[in-house]
Amino acid sequence: MSKKFVLVFSLIIVASMMLAACAKPAPTPAEPVAPAEPAAPAAATEADCAKPEVICIGLVTDVGEVDDKSFNQASWEGVVAGGKEVDAIVNYVETKDAKDYVANMQLFLDKGYDILVTVGFALGDATVEAAKANPDVKFIGVDQFQGEVVPNLAGLIFDEAKSGFLAGVLAGKLTKTKVVAAVLGTDLVPPVVNFNRGYVAGAKWVDPEINVISTYHPGGMDVAFTDPDWGATTARQAIGQKADVVFGAGGKTGNGALIEAASNEGLYCIGVDTDQWETVPEAHKCLVSSATKAISPSIVDLIKMAKDGSFPGGNYIGSSALAPFHDFEAIITQEIKDALDEGLKAYDANAITLPEK
Amino acid sequence: MEQKTPSKNNWLMTIWRTIRVPLLAILSALLVGAVILLVSGADPLKAYAALFKGAFGNANYLKRTLEKTTPLIFAGLSVTFAFKAGLFNIGAQGQLLMGAITAGFLGFAIKGLPPVLHIVLALLGGCAAGAFYGLIPGLLRSYSGAHEVITTIMLNYIAINLTDYLADGPWKDRSGTNVIARLPLIEDSARIPFFGPVPVGFIIAILIAFIIWYMLERTNFGFEINSVGLNSHASRYAGMKTKLLMTSALVVAGLLAGFGGSVETLGVVGRFQPGFNAGLGFDGITVALLGRSNPFGVILSSLLLGAMKGGANVMQFDAKVPHEIIDVIQSMMLFFVTADLVIRKLFRIIKDTGGEVTLTAGWGQK
Amino acid sequence: MIAVAVFSFMKNPSVTEAVMSAMIRFAVPLMLGALCGIYCERAGIVNIGIEGQMLLSAFTAYMTNVWTGNLILALLAGALTGALLGYFLAVISIKLKLNQIIGGTVINILAIGITGFFYQVGMTTKGKFGPIRLGPLAKIPLVGPVLFNNPPITYIAFLMVIISHIIFFHTRWGLRTRAVGEHPRAADTLGIDVFKTRYLNTIIGGALAGLAGAFLTLEGVGTFERNMTNGRGFIALAVMIFGKWNPIGSALAALLFGLANALQTQLQFMGINIPHQFIGMIPYALTIVVVSGFIGRSRSPAAEGTPYEKE
Repeated sequence: MSKKFVLVFSLIIVASMMLAACAKPAPTPAEPVAPAEPAAPAAATEADCAKPEVICIGLVTDVGEVDDKSFNQASWEGVVAGGKEVDAIVNYVETKDAKDYVANMQLFLDKGYDILVTVGFALGDATVEAAKANPDVKFIGVDQFQGEVVPNLAGLIFDEAKSGFLAGVLAGKLTKTKVVAAVLGTDLVPPVVNFNRGYVAGAKWVDPEINVISTYHPGGMDVAFTDPDWGATTARQAIGQKADVVFGAGGKTGNGALIEAASNEGLYCIGVDTDQWETVPEAHKCLVSSATKAISPSIVDLIKMAKDGSFPGGNYIGSSALAPFHDFEAIITQEIKDALDEGLKAYDANAITLPEK
Repeated sequence: MEQKTPSKNNWLMTIWRTIRVPLLAILSALLVGAVILLVSGADPLKAYAALFKGAFGNANYLKRTLEKTTPLIFAGLSVTFAFKAGLFNIGAQGQLLMGAITAGFLGFAIKGLPPVLHIVLALLGGCAAGAFYGLIPGLLRSYSGAHEVITTIMLNYIAINLTDYLADGPWKDRSGTNVIARLPLIEDSARIPFFGPVPVGFIIAILIAFIIWYMLERTNFGFEINSVGLNSHASRYAGMKTKLLMTSALVVAGLLAGFGGSVETLGVVGRFQPGFNAGLGFDGITVALLGRSNPFGVILSSLLLGAMKGGANVMQFDAKVPHEIIDVIQSMMLFFVTADLVIRKLFRIIKDTGGEVTLTAGWGQK
Repeated sequence: MIAVAVFSFMKNPSVTEAVMSAMIRFAVPLMLGALCGIYCERAGIVNIGIEGQMLLSAFTAYMTNVWTGNLILALLAGALTGALLGYFLAVISIKLKLNQIIGGTVINILAIGITGFFYQVGMTTKGKFGPIRLGPLAKIPLVGPVLFNNPPITYIAFLMVIISHIIFFHTRWGLRTRAVGEHPRAADTLGIDVFKTRYLNTIIGGALAGLAGAFLTLEGVGTFERNMTNGRGFIALAVMIFGKWNPIGSALAALLFGLANALQTQLQFMGINIPHQFIGMIPYALTIVVVSGFIGRSRSPAAEGTPYEKE
């Protein structure tokens, strides 16, 4: 009796394990990279982090995983790349509970890590505290605006509105229906709001008649970025109202919107944060570009600066730009490129007013 | 002297009998977890060692474990108390949030109070909010038959929306450059202190567990609650006011959850911020079930779960094992606890604590 | 409500169509989930594990899609997963006579743990179900594109609503099931196999929940994400109660919830900024109102939740 029961149960477990095990192994960024320089006499391990000559770089994510195809992942990739540049050992911890920010950072500090990257504005306070308490460690706070300058803490911030603006200009130029859409994570996250503000301004800059329909996920932080079905349905709703360009800016929720746009003929979509051509292949059919924040390259730069002693405390503004056009290179006419250049100039000259939200 | 030995033996036997079920469940769950880890290429021994170290390895780790245990105790007590009356309080999460935000509000809005007074006031406010939030499903269940499982789940969502709104709107922290949706920091006078690594909140939780145990085992009120849970019809025939009792049970359950949320806000976090209390309500159910609906069992199972949560990040750091394995182990534990009851039935092992409670009897009115 | 729809259609056809389409799309998983609940509860089994069933089925459907690229196979995999979990719940409730709410909770936590642990990023699929136009029917204004230009699982959902309604209220099978749910002892004395009925219904219900999960990954989005069900399983319970344990009533309730979501989005599109949390609260508040009997009486099958003991 209970044997049959145990059998069924084990079946379910084994089946799911088999499914996962048989899946094609993914190029996960999950494995921390140990330094592999052939020239080194003996490979340094994590235990040596306390030694001054061994550089160890750590990463603490916001609530979420390091393979989230966006934020956390881009930061981790930056750490890995930067680690290679300076021959460092790298490791990460995924935060599951927001109350663990400090404790997670402490894990690295206890082991004598030299550089610590914390991802997301939610870790802002905790990072400042840790930086002040550990002046010999360099901190890089992604998306953390620094109100005051702490010399060993670089707040890596981006002008999201700028790349949003460029995305809006692109959308404005590409749209034939004069309706463009944006599907956004949540208005509780300032960078997301800034992307939208730039997007709206950009589209209107091209043609004030363009109708920009944008919407934020109604849920709280725990669901707003992990609801791809809502993203897809909302994109569908926008497409039904003649939107032919969809800007997906909201983690996995936004990804859902991109994929939805891709499954329709003749639509364009624009990704966010990183070059989503790489991370959301299902969206290739429509993905013209992405409004990026150069997270990875900026982290690499900061790591190098930390090594050669020119680490900039305070705010460090990384670049924000449009990702390459990949397969859509052909449709980006010179006219469009000129418009983008012009728009960029106007933006940099502070000639653009952004809407409220 | 001769009388001591046999009674001491009995006492040990009773403890063993009570513990063996959950103990076996935990061990089985850890075993399953180890198998899954092996299959995915990790080293279970290393993982579990790191987990343990992360939970108890040093004073800081211990402090975090206790911090995580505290709200679990409250949530577990909340679910347990409702269980005793035959009710399923899935709304611990919502009640907890209401308590947390109220305490967080009173913590920053009132200034210039001496510490003890401020803390007590904020805690009372949080308890009242939680109690009120338990009153709603209690009344609905007693007087219109609406099943508390559904009403409390719905109220959870409403609470999340409401607190999100307040944290991003009228009560938002507008100091400095803050843009995050959260309440301002509470005054220092409202902070619950620590004794070394031990949060005072933890001590409060243990005390409350004692009080609840005493209430259930030694007071009239507790007797009636238990009675309603075991057989509400018979209790009514015996003259007990079942509707009042059921409502009170949910009010107390709400109060406990709200208490937990308040202690968390005032002692650990220092402000109310959405997302800082995620999942505690559901964990309360796990903890209550693992603890066999016994307040002391709840303390132990909360400690276990708190330790697992506390050690998870070290496990990831040292052994490179993703923290989701904790969820799998958690559900396995739950499964084995319930499955173990099966084994008892099959082998007709006499049950030692509590009877089978009729927990479900439909959603709507009868 | 129909008048409002027609009116808004006159004013702005594409918007109305878009909103209605979105309404249906939000509603489908809720509809299927509610049907699952109905099958289980009408037979006397309380199932709060719908959320877990959906999530795990979404995962297996997705993995099968990645592995084989065959959407039909993936759909079957999802339905099968749901059915298996249904069987699991049935064994817990019927054979082992354990508390059904615990059984459901175990399913939920298990699903989160398994899918969270085993999901690896970087896998891609070859696509998802596209819409199938039903010829001339699709040309009827307003109703046409909304109802008759949908992907397969959506059609299946609607069909299942109608079929289920017929089954429960116009067949002997349905009569027996309802009897088992209301008065198992009486049903037993009439010669109905209470246990078998409960088993079968719970398994069928599970398969429907599995379809709901498959919808999310095969039709809705096309990929899987951890926790992507986001509470839809619990809302499905609310939908079921709202619809008074009736397939058609639940379908309408699901559409209502879907409409609330679509409207919320539409309001944002139009630049009207009501704090979205208030709109978000509406479906839940409404459910409480309905469950409490403020809008008509809502009565669940009488014998649900209690294990049946043969004399």
